[in-house]
Amino acid sequence: MYRYDDIDKAMLADRAAEFREQCARRLAGEIDEDQFKPIRLMNGLYLQLHAYMLRIAIPYGTLSSEQLRKLAHVARRYDRGYGHFTTRTNLQLHWIKLADAPDILDDLASVGLHAIQTSGNCIRNLTADPHAGADADEVDDPRIWAEAIRQWSTFHPEFSFLPRKFKIAVIAAPTDRAATRIYDIGLRLHRGEAGELAFEVLVGGGLGRTPYLGSTIRQGLPARHLLSYLQAILRVYNRHGRRDNAWKARIKVLVASLGAEEFARQVEEEWARTDTAPVDLPDIELARIRAAFAPVGFETLPPVSALFEAAKSEDRAFARFARNNVMAHKKAGYAIVNIALKTPGETPGDCSSDQMDVVADLAAHYSLDEARVSYEQNLILPHVKLDDVPAVYAALAAAGLASPNIGLISDIIACPGLDYCALANARAIPIAQAIARTFADPDLADAVGPLKIKISGCINACGHHHVGHIGILGVDKKGEEFYQLTLGGSGGGDEGEASLGQILGPALPAGEVAPAVDQLVGVYLRQREVGERFLDTFRRTGLTPFKEAIYADAH
Amino acid sequence: MKALTANRLADGEVVFWNAAGWAERFADAQVFADDAPALAAEARARGEITMAVDPYLIEVEPVEGGLAPVSYRERLRALGPTNKLQHGKQADGGAAIERLFRAHGAARSSGRVNLIKRK
Repeated sequence: MYRYDDIDKAMLADRAAEFREQCARRLAGEIDEDQFKPIRLMNGLYLQLHAYMLRIAIPYGTLSSEQLRKLAHVARRYDRGYGHFTTRTNLQLHWIKLADAPDILDDLASVGLHAIQTSGNCIRNLTADPHAGADADEVDDPRIWAEAIRQWSTFHPEFSFLPRKFKIAVIAAPTDRAATRIYDIGLRLHRGEAGELAFEVLVGGGLGRTPYLGSTIRQGLPARHLLSYLQAILRVYNRHGRRDNAWKARIKVLVASLGAEEFARQVEEEWARTDTAPVDLPDIELARIRAAFAPVGFETLPPVSALFEAAKSEDRAFARFARNNVMAHKKAGYAIVNIALKTPGETPGDCSSDQMDVVADLAAHYSLDEARVSYEQNLILPHVKLDDVPAVYAALAAAGLASPNIGLISDIIACPGLDYCALANARAIPIAQAIARTFADPDLADAVGPLKIKISGCINACGHHHVGHIGILGVDKKGEEFYQLTLGGSGGGDEGEASLGQILGPALPAGEVAPAVDQLVGVYLRQREVGERFLDTFRRTGLTPFKEAIYADAH
Repeated sequence: MKALTANRLADGEVVFWNAAGWAERFADAQVFADDAPALAAEARARGEITMAVDPYLIEVEPVEGGLAPVSYRERLRALGPTNKLQHGKQADGGAAIERLFRAHGAARSSGRVNLIKRK
């Protein structure tokens, strides 16, 4: 994986030293909160309900074992011994003291981590396919391109004050595991007819108050021109994006108002007059970044592991874990091991420092020193020998991390909600816990099959409720927590193209949400045809049978 | 009735205004029956920039055994997150905490004075 060079390290050290001085001035009263707030936000430090929250960037969700151990250390020393992995593949610490923040940034900088551009109207931390470098179908490692964008966009003077925040996701495989259609820009790398690397460029996706799926504005963009094309998009957005109304300032609103075709025309016009050479990545720099992601340390192994197969035969629990959490790897004899941070009853995305240390040790010993964070709030060991999966499973089980529910109904995305977030209208975590407990029996969860529930505590949609098979949105209805359900959303992936959920009906009080989900599952189990997942059945039947089940008493 | 709340500058701790300055427990908050002294306290708190961040008034009401914030959001701030009962002020337990647990209703928007204006 990419390691920060001396320039990166000096930049982080300078930034941490600068923030130390700014914090000291604020604590001494030399600057007030109005002056300090933009500064702390630019260093990822928010003030939430109970304390400061630090949002730490994990670029394209990739961590070395050293970095993950450092996150464990920071959470243990400066917070309360745990952190919360988010849908942006960041780590949030919810109990931070302002006086500790400079020391934390120093600690993070020592391993090439930081909180830069995790807030503010700039290009935020990039996300990418969490299976990058391990998936058989990818045409290239998308992190090469994500890293190039990270370097280009970090402290970019022209794009530091955009109309609104800006998020980019990159994939290089046909299966979209990064939900590229819900991003400001989604980049899909593929090979053209002549075998050259080219991007499909999607623009204008986003959730929140006005959800849109991104539109393709360019097919077949030669990969070498990625940065100049991104510059053209951002220039059009910077020029015409609204700044008078924060709710209408995202690029999705501009693309929707102009129309994707007109937006594309303006981007092409801007790009045509761009001198691309100074902007696009030089071949030598691309080669340097590419070398950092070159596969290292893989052994030549038989495709079948007798040890792995025997463990499946002997241990039913391991067999379930292998079926749900272990996925095919591009290298024979290796597997991708998914770690669900979704033990029923626990907080989705939360991971204790001790658990982070366990995963870091497993990454070091069994996964070529790499761990990943997925936007579905789970961790991944991307390169595990099949022979080693039983040992990895045993270590995960001992740490309470072997929940065999990846992609199942209890693998729920939930934002921190009103338990922590200053913006939220309602709690998300207790709703997730109640649903997960309802389906805690692994046999039941397996019988229901793939079903993605996504919960947001407010319309800002950090919990991606618009693209949940069952989406749940917390609302404040006459002073009480209520929850609006949507059905049929999808972030894409192996479900085909992404889709936005349809509202089921009037919002439900908190206590009725988990029973309602149980009823929706009941409808699905009664209606499903052979081989259908929940989403397939919904797409065939539409809302009606589900709506009737929930609101029958109301009529 | 109103109380004045904020987050402490140095560590973000939820604090409540009283005659001695800022207290960590809602039970120690000064309760204002009239608007004028409440607004005066808010103005004074805003001037003390090294003590607390973004002070604002909240509505409180009688509940069994005492007073509680009207807003559920404010009761959460006075207690701690519901997913980790060992964190926040609720960890101390006691009658004053139990009283806040027993209060109910009003999710977010109610009980925060001048919320829209402040935004």
